[in-house]
Amino acid sequence: MAFYTRMGDGKRVEMTREAIIDDIRAGMADAADMGGIPDLTEDDIAIITDIVACNDRMVGVAPGEEIVLTYDIGQLDFTGDNGNSGNGVDMGRLEAALLHERALGADTFELAHSDYSIKPVKPVISMEMQTMEEIQAEIVAPYFYGAMPNCGLYYAPDGPYGNPADLMREFKIDEAMAAAEAAADHVARDIEYVTTRLIQAGADGFNFDTTGSAGDADCVGTLNGVRMLREACPDAYINVGMAGESVMGIHGMIEFDGQIVAGLYPHQQVKLAQKAGASVFGAVCNTNTSKSLAWNLGRSVTFIKECVNQAEIPVHVDMGMGVGGIPMLETPPIDAVSRCNKAMVEVAHVDGV
Amino acid sequence: MDLPHFLTSGMGGIRTAGDLVARMEYDPKHKMHIKDAKAYVAKKLGVSVLDIADESVMRDLREELGIGVCTGVPGAPRGIAAKMNIEKLLDIEINSCKIFREKTQKN
Amino acid sequence: MKKEVFKLAFEAETKNIHDAMIAVMVPGIVKSVNEAVAAGMDPNDIINTMGDAMSEVGVMFERGKLFLPHVLSAAAGMTKAMEILTPLMQNESGSTEKKASVVMGTVEGDVHDIGKSICSTMLQCAGYDIHDLGRDVPKQKFIDEVKGGCTYCGMSALMTTTMTVMKEVIDMLEAEGVRGNVKVLVGGAPITQGYADKIGADIYGESASETTRKVKATS
Repeated sequence: MAFYTRMGDGKRVEMTREAIIDDIRAGMADAADMGGIPDLTEDDIAIITDIVACNDRMVGVAPGEEIVLTYDIGQLDFTGDNGNSGNGVDMGRLEAALLHERALGADTFELAHSDYSIKPVKPVISMEMQTMEEIQAEIVAPYFYGAMPNCGLYYAPDGPYGNPADLMREFKIDEAMAAAEAAADHVARDIEYVTTRLIQAGADGFNFDTTGSAGDADCVGTLNGVRMLREACPDAYINVGMAGESVMGIHGMIEFDGQIVAGLYPHQQVKLAQKAGASVFGAVCNTNTSKSLAWNLGRSVTFIKECVNQAEIPVHVDMGMGVGGIPMLETPPIDAVSRCNKAMVEVAHVDGV
Repeated sequence: MDLPHFLTSGMGGIRTAGDLVARMEYDPKHKMHIKDAKAYVAKKLGVSVLDIADESVMRDLREELGIGVCTGVPGAPRGIAAKMNIEKLLDIEINSCKIFREKTQKN
Repeated sequence: MKKEVFKLAFEAETKNIHDAMIAVMVPGIVKSVNEAVAAGMDPNDIINTMGDAMSEVGVMFERGKLFLPHVLSAAAGMTKAMEILTPLMQNESGSTEKKASVVMGTVEGDVHDIGKSICSTMLQCAGYDIHDLGRDVPKQKFIDEVKGGCTYCGMSALMTTTMTVMKEVIDMLEAEGVRGNVKVLVGGAPITQGYADKIGADIYGESASETTRKVKATS
């Protein structure tokens, strides 16, 4: 008997139960090898198999097993264009916040600048603070400010420092490393500037989205910024969400708290986020578009389960398009989204999504 | 994307008690994992863990406690007012409420 | 049969070159290559051994075991080694030209740079002549580079709004009558094999090392 399932690019595919199990095992083995982490148990594999091989359109967790649902990207999921998976529906930020709170079951929500990066918020910080004050007066659910640290904006041609990738192709490795270190310091200063002001405006906290997107220096700069925020605002809610399952080693040697961050996997990343002062860690595992949902889910759950096991703080798994086993497609099929979500709750035991 | 997640495993936000559980996970003095956070909220509300994600229980309970509801109820506390009631209920401090108090108690 | 004899004859040298490349230290790579030359190993075989090891370095980078400076260090060692081998090869065959020229760029309207840059670096390390145009590259610039002799045209996009530009460039290559001269490679977060097929690209790379492997297989 063949089951209706998906590939990592969202295409429909039929697989037998045996093929699904084989792919879950292969995905698991890939994660275990890459991360140097334990395999899933036979019980875990059986649960994921049943979830993937279910004939129902949607699956769900049992009543009483619900988890926290944290939304990122703010109003952009409505207002954005398809470049950032929005719907292209223009609306105000207050309306978007209250819609998420009252109609979409958001347990938390956030305010965001349309560029969604820290750097462009600096020149408009007063406007962002006013909007934060206004929405805090209306909203009940925890309301963050969210942005990507996006260290890429500090490198040429957007910023004052040389572009490490370009410098390295010219074998100027020391110069590339120095540029990355300078950019990391700069993004940390900007994080402190922006985040502390938004907390002063009443934000419950800050969501650092796609930490490490520009590599290990981006990650270190962000963690240093998180530490500054925690020292300045001891009561702030801080979510540190990652960009990928592994921190890209663009610098290679840059450290946070004596630990080289390049090549760290979720179960190692979470420990640095804890040290920096995060309240919640957003773990990521990337989807391979050429593999099946079963393969991607086996792999993602293996990474995230170990992260949850080693975390002292709550872990919310990132489950947008192309992460957490979910297909890389602007309109991810709901059968796939639902299956990935259930597997993360029941096998990886995440605290939230 | 939002809706399948909500329907599969979401607590339900202010439809139920999802916002309260989220606060107990994020509050840096607590940083509770999901099971502890749910148990804490259930105890403070005086209901079971099953009840805190059940709309039939939480809809009326939220209105009674003045902690914000997802339907339009004229006169019911919302925004800062609802959050001040949440502070007392959960024994936590909420930043926007703290700032509101600072501003209103200047003189 | 001859190959087996060669393998046995230079097994130690091959292993030393391979290990030095994986250790990504320039002096070690140069030393192992000098020893192989002294032992009489064919320069072409030395280069092939380094090339195979470089592919392994690329995979290790993607699996988080090595980082970009390590990849570059191995490439720098390989470059130094080529300075030793080039005179020997010129004596033998008179040719040590680089592999094909590849124009690389993130398409017009898209400012995401890193994935494309890593891909450029890996291809450069594999011996290709890289013309990296950066990001937000006007479409015509790709066409100009192909007309100038690039036989691979690599395009990256990180947004679904910009990935459509790849198809426009392919159409322009057709219109200018140079589509047959070039292999088009595409990649980036929203790109899939299905999309590459749909727009008529020749190569889709899920990752930098996969792209490099596929380019090598076609050149």
